[in-house]
Amino acid sequence: MKQIALYGKGGIGKSTTSANLSAALSEKDLDILQIGCDPKHDSTRMLMRGEWIPTVLDLIRENGEKNLTTEDIVHKGYNNIRCVEAGGPEPGIGCAGRGIIATFQLLEKLEALYGDIIVYDVLGDVVCGGFAMPMREGYAQEVYLVTSGDFMALYAANNICKAIARLSKRSKNRCTLGGVICNSANIEGERELVAEFARSINSEMIAFIPRSKTVRLAEVNKRTVLEYAPESEQAEVYRELADKIISNRPAADKIPTPLEMDELEALALRYIKA
Amino acid sequence: MNLKPSHSDISRHEGCTIQGALSITAFVDDAITIIHGPSGCTHQSSAFFYSALMYNGYYDIPFILSSEITENDIIFGGEKKLSETIEKALTYNPKAVFVLGTCVSATIGDCIEDVCHEYTEIPVIPVNTAGFLGGSFTSGFEEALLSSAKLISKENNRETDNTEIQSVNIIGEKNLESDVDENYAEVERLLKLLNIKVNMRLARHTTVDDIRNMKRADLNIFREKLPVIITDHFTQKTGLKHIEEFPAGFSGSIEFINKIAENLNINPEYAIKKETEYQQSIIEEFSDIKGKTINFDSFGFQNADYDILSEMSEYFGIKVDDNGTEIPIPFSAPVGSTGIKRMLHQWRRFLKNA
Repeated sequence: MKQIALYGKGGIGKSTTSANLSAALSEKDLDILQIGCDPKHDSTRMLMRGEWIPTVLDLIRENGEKNLTTEDIVHKGYNNIRCVEAGGPEPGIGCAGRGIIATFQLLEKLEALYGDIIVYDVLGDVVCGGFAMPMREGYAQEVYLVTSGDFMALYAANNICKAIARLSKRSKNRCTLGGVICNSANIEGERELVAEFARSINSEMIAFIPRSKTVRLAEVNKRTVLEYAPESEQAEVYRELADKIISNRPAADKIPTPLEMDELEALALRYIKA
Repeated sequence: MNLKPSHSDISRHEGCTIQGALSITAFVDDAITIIHGPSGCTHQSSAFFYSALMYNGYYDIPFILSSEITENDIIFGGEKKLSETIEKALTYNPKAVFVLGTCVSATIGDCIEDVCHEYTEIPVIPVNTAGFLGGSFTSGFEEALLSSAKLISKENNRETDNTEIQSVNIIGEKNLESDVDENYAEVERLLKLLNIKVNMRLARHTTVDDIRNMKRADLNIFREKLPVIITDHFTQKTGLKHIEEFPAGFSGSIEFINKIAENLNINPEYAIKKETEYQQSIIEEFSDIKGKTINFDSFGFQNADYDILSEMSEYFGIKVDDNGTEIPIPFSAPVGSTGIKRMLHQWRRFLKNA
């Protein structure tokens, strides 16, 4: 079983990338579980053909933890991909991070964390220990940073990198940085910029996903690209990403080296001038 | 509880803001205090109060409720649980409810103030505490004093008192110190010499109405020196001048009488004469320990920095020296002349046993 987590700035396309990646992985006869770890709970929507599945935390709130079964929280979507949404409290109250921890505890208790590949789709920033849960305690072995060439997206990716670097120093840690996925925002010099960013944090850019109208068309049709336009070039991009991730074996002792703010700024500045 | 410990003492002697606040709010007899947090916070505080009060021979354990928040309340917010607990408290018909925040409620950002403001039948008063996040025992104690001042009537509700006996409010008594009642009795004795009575105590055997009627007094007397922000707050709320702290030692007692007399326009002559006679009788009573040498046992954490100890050598010729008889340092400075007398009784026991 391989467990991976996708992190990145809010709105960068983590959920779109995760859902399409899960869809591409499922085509290879793999048993896939995708877990949305974001109070926004829209990670698996395209896999569920637009259906909003009940979140784990909504179910806990309404029925109590004791009465929940795996069937209540795990929903089968496209190509039998099993989908879970952690959900969260209402905006502005409670503690969403603790909610993620509670979700993981429940999934463990129900023995729902199985499959060939588990994909964790995590909220934009690692704002607290709760949102670092997927990279802690032996869940995800590989973290993938989703970013574009936008400065703030790189800034967020660099921050997440700090969390990974910190966790990497722990003796029991199993989590490494798998690589950087560039989800293009059609910025000039973007491919080179993100590739250099990846190198400078001691990693590599494992995929460049071009901006494509097909993604938006699939989205408004409530499908993943793999389901909506399986023959498209974009679908092929996600299949390549899937292959790359299946074969990716990042060295366990390769610790990422997050950039200082001035280094990051200098990097961005070089590519803006170019 | 000593409110002025050195920094190194804090971890050992001070609780968190909850215990500090409780040492005021829990002694308003017809009010209920709610601790908004996991039941453990209330358990710890209750256990602490139980032992501290039992030690002082006080068996009337304060009524404290917990909102008993659990993990789900932490995730989804605990405000609803707090409302339910306030409702529960109201069924006991208290005259007021105090609500204290804990580390947990502060961390998840529950707005205790907003929840409290939904209740208008009786005062439901938020106290700005947040477990240890909100500061120390002392800051909780101070916040509780400020919050309880919200109960003071805005009207000038002075009774027309034919006897014209003036009165004082006693503010900030340290309910957990072992001599709390003796210290109060000593201040009351000194006040009687000036023909002054006590209007109310904040808070010991206090009712909500007592706090409402604080303006009926003529002067505020604080147990211990408090930050100006607090003394000013009470000046503003009651319109009364104040004395900063209870008297320490012989000269302190005389000074105390003079200050009160000055504030209330009373001739202190009779009181001073009586008090001087009393002090003289104490000096005579303890003539047997005159000239003895003692050494303070700090138990490793207390400081003997009271001015009062230098008075001891002046009046009794007692010297402090490394080779002297070991005597425990008083936890806080003895209050008034009688405080000195009690302390000397203890010293005499140690000197006899030496």
